[in-house]
Amino acid sequence: MAHGSVVLCSWFGDAEVVPEEALAALTVGRNAAKSLGVDLEWIVLGPAPSGTPEMAGQQGVAVVHRVDNDGLGGATPDALVEALFQFCTSRIPRLVLFCQDFESRVVAPRLAGRISAGVVMNGVEINAPAEAPLRVTASAYGGDTRVVYEFADAPTSLVALQANAGLPEAAETPSSPSVEDFSTDLSGQVERVRVIEAAQSVGPRLEEAEIIVSGGRGLGSPDNYKWVEELAEALGGMAGASRPIVDEGWTDSSHQVGLTGRITRPALYVAVGISGASQHMAGCGAAKNIVAINKDPDAAIFRYARYGVVGDCLEILPELIRAARNRS
Amino acid sequence: MKIFVCAKQVLDPDAVNNYALAGRLEIGEDGKSLTQASIPELVNAYDEQALEVALRMRDNGTECTIHVVSVGEDRTAILRHAASIGADEIAQILSSHAEPDGHLTAALLAAHIQAQGGADLVLCGRQASDDDQGVVPALISEILGIPLVNVAKAIERVGEDLRVTRVTPDGDEIVEVSGPAVVTLSNEVGDPRYPTAANKLKARRVQPEIVNEADLDLADENSAARVQVVKQFVPDVQENCEFIEGATPAELADRLMERLREERILS
Repeated sequence: MAHGSVVLCSWFGDAEVVPEEALAALTVGRNAAKSLGVDLEWIVLGPAPSGTPEMAGQQGVAVVHRVDNDGLGGATPDALVEALFQFCTSRIPRLVLFCQDFESRVVAPRLAGRISAGVVMNGVEINAPAEAPLRVTASAYGGDTRVVYEFADAPTSLVALQANAGLPEAAETPSSPSVEDFSTDLSGQVERVRVIEAAQSVGPRLEEAEIIVSGGRGLGSPDNYKWVEELAEALGGMAGASRPIVDEGWTDSSHQVGLTGRITRPALYVAVGISGASQHMAGCGAAKNIVAINKDPDAAIFRYARYGVVGDCLEILPELIRAARNRS
Repeated sequence: MKIFVCAKQVLDPDAVNNYALAGRLEIGEDGKSLTQASIPELVNAYDEQALEVALRMRDNGTECTIHVVSVGEDRTAILRHAASIGADEIAQILSSHAEPDGHLTAALLAAHIQAQGGADLVLCGRQASDDDQGVVPALISEILGIPLVNVAKAIERVGEDLRVTRVTPDGDEIVEVSGPAVVTLSNEVGDPRYPTAANKLKARRVQPEIVNEADLDLADENSAARVQVVKQFVPDVQENCEFIEGATPAELADRLMERLREERILS
């Protein structure tokens, strides 16, 4: 079934393993494909991490399309859009999915413009009945509300899925996906945006941290952010921050967790002096466990937290650092 | 240099958030709009930052005319504000659709830009704070066939090219692009300027140009919405917080650590 399938578009650059978000997106895609009565396919542009076909099989993917041009990835949006344009016009997929990240936020809507298709970002749920219009639920107002969009009747629709759209679940019956090369003509593609000075990634990324301790305005003053860093270190995790204190320069924006910062999914997220505005929760709502420390017992953060400590974070932080250090 | 800044009018996201946190956010009878009359409408903050970057380019010696454009009705207040801080031309585009989607909005903006003789630079906020979609700038870039640089905090003219500082997850990245281009701006731009009292008064007499969809040369394939909002709701929060008890900060800290280890969240 080449036509009308559900296709996840991925590019991994030099990643060595398939990230969990891609598997979660395949799970969402599989459910949509089942409901539409079509195949689930996966197009991987540029290098594929080892184990890609096995992962595809666990997720019930029918075909893995490989676009094996060197260097295809996030730094080459023009080439990605062109390759996907060629794929979409040749195969006419019913539903094209993306894991939403910094790069797909450009590629997905540009592809939609190029093939004149509808596109919805921030997707959290897909409702794809076989005989009725496709609907997507997406996060809005930084997570305060959900909006349900309905696509007009069209051959192809595009959806970018948020990191918290679900967890990966293996298919009941694994598949044996065929791996096919999709050949594209990218000759004459010159990236119009030229990188003069690449970003200098320093150390591990918050997105990959298992433990994050984040601070907010409740810390009172810029000097107190050091307690957050110390607790993060004592727990073997990384330090994060809410947008207000980044905007005020207490720490740099690489630490900013939230809608327009890092979208994290750690096992443990400790929110210190953070009120729990939706814009912040958009960046940590997918954490498996949230611990909130706040002096206001009515702070919104406690609604999302698994464990709560009501008190002055400046008194509690030094004690927590001591307790965390004593642990080992 | 001709710069177009696209500005969306949105419900104040902080007010929406306050209602949401208080559990009092209400959806209207149509099942999709927020109805609290006390929530003010503002210009999308990222779009304000896009205008700020255009004004900074002028401050830094780039000769330019700055056009600010908004799609929708009753945009006079936000457009006059733009005029009061330095926009040269302000225009409001009226769509024939009650709720134009991102595609139609982009098509209207692109057609207006073309009708004005084209742009050297199109600036937009990275996304709107109401729907968070962020697709309009990319769609404009595709309709006009020009490159897109997203999530920037500064733009500098270098000869005929633009040097743009992007805020990426790995830190700042500097790119160059030959214009025309679409660039989206983020909150890292910093605070936008305020008008002087005199300029504020002066702007009260400025009327935005009104552009109707029928006046614009929209390609047929661009004149229909591709997605429509059918519903909006406030998501449930599970609320199962276990509050740690203790008489002193030390006790609270020890009990919390104990619980995290009992539940195997920490080793």
